[in-house]
Amino acid sequence: MFMIKRRHGKRLGIYVHIPFCASKCSYCDFYSYVPKSAGVYSKHIDTLIRHMESYKAACADYSPDTVYIGGGTPTVLPPEDFLRLIKAIKHNFHLQKYPEFTVEANPKTVDFETLTRYRRAGVNRLSMGLQSANKAELEALGRIHTPADFEESFRAAREAKITNINIDLMYGIPYQTYRSFMNSLQFTLRLKPEHISIYGLKLEQGTPLAASVASGAYPMPSDEMQFAMYRDAIDILAKNGYVQYEISNFARPGFECRHNIKYWRCDEYLGFGPGAHSYFNGYRFSFKRSISSYMRGVNYVSKEEMTDENEIIPLRERVGEYIMLRMRMTSGVDSREFFRLFGKDFTRTYGKKLERFVPGGYVKVENGVYSFTPAGMFVSNYILSEVLSFNADGTFMLE
Amino acid sequence: MTERQKKIRNFSIIAHIDHGKSTLADRIIEATHSVDEREMEDQLLDNMDLERERGITIKAHAVRLEYKADDGETYIFNLIDTPGHVDFNYEVSRSLNACEGALLVVDATQGIQAQTLANAYLAADANLEIVPVINKIDLPSADVDRVRAEIEDVIGIPAEGCPAVSAKTGLNIDDVLKAIVRDIPPPGGDENAPLRCLIFDSYFNSYLGVVVYVRVIEGTLRPGDRIKMMSTGQEFDVVEVGYMKPLGLTKAEYLAAGDVGYITASIKAVADTRVGDTITTAEGGATEPLPGFKASVPMVYAGIYPADGARYGDLRDALEKLQLNDAALHFEPETSAALGFGFRCGFLGLLHMEIIEERLEREFGLDLITTVPSVIYEIKKRDGSIVRIDNPTNYPPPDEIEVAREPIVRASIITPTEYIGGIMDLCTDRRGIFHDMKYIDATRVELHYSLPLNEIIYDFFDALKSRSRGYASLDYEMEGYADSKLVKIDILLNGDPVDALTFIVHEEKAYARARKIVVKLKENIPRQLFEIPVQAAIGSRVIARETVKALRKDVLAKCYGGDITRKKKLLEKQKEGKKRMRRFGTVEVSPEAFMAVLKLDDE
Repeated sequence: MFMIKRRHGKRLGIYVHIPFCASKCSYCDFYSYVPKSAGVYSKHIDTLIRHMESYKAACADYSPDTVYIGGGTPTVLPPEDFLRLIKAIKHNFHLQKYPEFTVEANPKTVDFETLTRYRRAGVNRLSMGLQSANKAELEALGRIHTPADFEESFRAAREAKITNINIDLMYGIPYQTYRSFMNSLQFTLRLKPEHISIYGLKLEQGTPLAASVASGAYPMPSDEMQFAMYRDAIDILAKNGYVQYEISNFARPGFECRHNIKYWRCDEYLGFGPGAHSYFNGYRFSFKRSISSYMRGVNYVSKEEMTDENEIIPLRERVGEYIMLRMRMTSGVDSREFFRLFGKDFTRTYGKKLERFVPGGYVKVENGVYSFTPAGMFVSNYILSEVLSFNADGTFMLE
Repeated sequence: MTERQKKIRNFSIIAHIDHGKSTLADRIIEATHSVDEREMEDQLLDNMDLERERGITIKAHAVRLEYKADDGETYIFNLIDTPGHVDFNYEVSRSLNACEGALLVVDATQGIQAQTLANAYLAADANLEIVPVINKIDLPSADVDRVRAEIEDVIGIPAEGCPAVSAKTGLNIDDVLKAIVRDIPPPGGDENAPLRCLIFDSYFNSYLGVVVYVRVIEGTLRPGDRIKMMSTGQEFDVVEVGYMKPLGLTKAEYLAAGDVGYITASIKAVADTRVGDTITTAEGGATEPLPGFKASVPMVYAGIYPADGARYGDLRDALEKLQLNDAALHFEPETSAALGFGFRCGFLGLLHMEIIEERLEREFGLDLITTVPSVIYEIKKRDGSIVRIDNPTNYPPPDEIEVAREPIVRASIITPTEYIGGIMDLCTDRRGIFHDMKYIDATRVELHYSLPLNEIIYDFFDALKSRSRGYASLDYEMEGYADSKLVKIDILLNGDPVDALTFIVHEEKAYARARKIVVKLKENIPRQLFEIPVQAAIGSRVIARETVKALRKDVLAKCYGGDITRKKKLLEKQKEGKKRMRRFGTVEVSPEAFMAVLKLDDE
C-alpha cells in the first residue's frame, strides 16, 4: 500500500549542537572547542545522523516545524558534512511544509556560495553574532571578526537570498559606554535584519573573561548604565518597527523566532549533540558536555554514558516552569489560559504576589494578563524568586 | 602516707596554646603502653571533633595510666588535662587543685608565652610541683638553652636537668616519665577521715546520667554511699565508682584519698555537679568544704537566634543539651523585634561563645544569627537604683543615668619587641591604661594594661594577632568596674531601628564606630528594588549614614538552548539566599551582615 507522509503530526523543535569553533570567545560557556584536526567534523556528523535515526520511531507521530542548528559555530563545518546533516534531518523527521530552519553563523565563516547551497538545501534563517560594532569591545570578548567583516558576511547572506536574519547584540561588555552601545545598535539597524536579540553579557564562572573582569582588568558599565542601554534600546527598536516579544528578543511582526518560542511556551523540543537539552514526551533531559561521551553513548547505544540530567516533569513542576518561562515573554501569563491548562486560579495565588510589584512599575496587569514592564524584565529574577517557591528537592512548590 | 598512695602521681599538663600539650599527653599514654597503638587515635584526650579541629582542649579530661618504672615498681599516673584558654581559667584552677604536680610544656622555638606564665602562676597558686618540659626540640629553630634560662629567670623554677623532648617524634619521652615519678610528690590524705572529694569535671551520659570526675582528698568512697554536694546540699546515692582508663570507664570497688576517678549517682544535670564543689557523705561527712569554689559567672552576653524562625524549638533543645555538659552556659528566652524569638546567652568569654555557636551549628545543624556581644554594664540611675544591663536594647535613656560603669580587665600581653609600637597603639585605641612593661629577655616583653572588657570582646584578639604576625599572646582577668562615658547607638534601616544591631560604645568612639558599622552594613545588605538608607543614631540624632542603591539588574538574559533546569536552579539558589534573609520592615538583611559588624579592625 502506498504510504502518505504525514505532514500534520504533533509539533516539535529539533535542535542540533555543533560544538566546534574557529576560536573560543572569552565569555563563552557553551560546550564548544577548537578541534585539533578536521577529522572530528565528519565523525560528529556520522554520530548525529545515527542518533537521529534511533529517534525515528519515537518521532513517528511528530512533524517538526522548527530546526535550529547551533553551536559552537555550525558554519565551521565543511559544506559536504553540513549538507549531509541537513539531508539526514529531512530524511529522519517528517518536517512540516514550511519549517523555520535556523543556522547560527559567525562572520568570516560564511560566503555567498555556501550560503546559497545551504538555502537550497532548506536553511531559511540565519542567526549572526555581531555582539558589538566596537573594536575594543569585540577584542575583549575574544571575537575574531571586525564590524566590516560582519557587514560583508551579512551582505553575502542577503545576496544568497536569505530573507530572515537575526543579529545578536550585547550590553554589559568591557569598555562599553552608553554611546558605543547606541553606535552598535545603529550599525545593526542600518543592516535592516528581521530579528534582533540583545543579551546582557553574563560573566560565567570559569570563563577567561570572568577571571579578567574579577581581576579588575576592564572598565565595566554599571548596572544603572546597562539598564539605561536596555530601556532606551527597547524604545529605539520599537520606533524602527521591532517589537519586543521576550526579555532579549525583538522582531518585525511575523519574524519572531518560532524555535526559541518553544522554549518559553514549554513546547516539545528534541536536542542532538553533546550538551543539548530536550523536553520530549514529558521528560526533560540533556546530554553530557563531552563529545567523546556523546560519541560513545550513541555509537555503543549506552544512554547512561551520555545522559547528564533526566527528569520527568510532573504537573506541579510544569506550573512553576510555565510561569518562569512565560513571564520572559511580553505576552506574559494569561490567567484564563493558566486555568484552562492547570485548573488553578492564577489571580489569587501567583498573581497576587506579582501585583505587589505593580506600584513600583515592574509588573502590569491588563485583562487578567500578567506581564513584566521593561524595568520588571531587568529585575525579573529577583521578582520571580519572590513569586515562586521551591520544595526541598528543588522542585517548584505548587500554590 | 600509705603504700598505695606512694605509687600514685597526680599531674596536669599546662602550656600556652599550640606548645604541644595534647601531643605530649598522647606520647605519655603511648609510652605507658596503656593503649594499643592500633587503637591510639591521635590526641586521645580531646574527644570532641571541635577540640581536635581547633587543636585546643575545651573541657578537662582525665586518664589513669600504669607505668612500670626501671625500679620494677608499677606507678599509677593520673593525667588530668586542662582547658588551654583564658576563658576557662577557673576550670583550669580546679583541675590543678586535683593534682600534686604539673608538667609545664614550653615550645623550644617560642619560649615563654602569656599563657605559659598565667598557667604557671595558677599552678604555683595551687602549690603544685612544676616540672618544666621543653618541647619541639626536633625543630631547626629550637633553642633549648635559651628556653631553659628563660624558665629559670622568668618563672623562677630550676630547669637545669628538665626533660627536653619532641612529643611529635617521641624523642626523650622516657625522661618525662622518670621526672614524673621522681619530681612529683605522691598524694597524702587520710583514708579514714570524713570524705572530701573535689569535682573537677563532669559530663552527661545518656546511660549513666552525669559522670562526675573527682579527686578524693580525704576519706573513702564506695558504691551505695549516700553523698552530698556541699554547695547545694543535694544528696545522691552512689551507683558506681571507678577509674578513667584510656579506652573507657572501668569500675572499681572504692576510691580513697589520693585517687582520681569517677562517680555516677543517677544525677540528671551537670548543673548539679559544679566544678570546684566538694562531695562528702550525707552522714558523718566533712563540715568544711574544700576552698576555692566559685559559681561560674558569664562575662559576655549575646542574643542567639535561629536564622529560620521556625527552628526556635530546635535551638532551645540544643541549648539545653549543651547545658547538660556546660554549666557555664547561661541562657534565657528573649524576643527581638528584628529577629523574633531567640535566647540571650551568657558566656565565660568570646572563645566560649564561639565554641557554643559552632557546636550549635555543627552538632545540631542550626543556622544562627548572633547579635553584637555585650558585657554587663552597671548603671546607677538618678532615682538611686542600680541596674545591670546585659542587652544594649535595655540601656536606659541618657537623662535617667547618674553614672554608668563598665567592666575592666587586667591584661597581660607578651610580644616580641618589634611589635611593641603597634600593640601599644592598639591598646591605646581600645582605651587601655598602661601599667608597666617587663623584659622577659632581650627580644620579648610583657605588657600590662587595664582594658575595658567591651573593647576586647569584639575583635581584639584578631587585631593583636594581625599586628604581631601571630606572635603576641594575651591573658586577662577581671579587675573590676570603672565609671565610663557610654552612649547607646541605634542602627536604622530604611528609617526603622533594628534592635539586634544596637550597641553600647564609649562616647569618644561613637562616630568612628558608627561610621564603620554603616559602611559594613551597606556592603552586606543585598540591593532591593528601592533605595535603603542605613543610619546610625544616638537618640534621634543621626551620626552616620550610607545608602544601599536600588537593584537595577537581575536578569538571566538568555535561556541557553532550552536549558530550563539551569534557570530553575539559578532561581532556586536565589530563593535559598532569600530564605536566609531577615526581614526588618521592608528591608532584607543577610546573616553575614551581623557577623560583619563584629569585625571592625581594618588593619
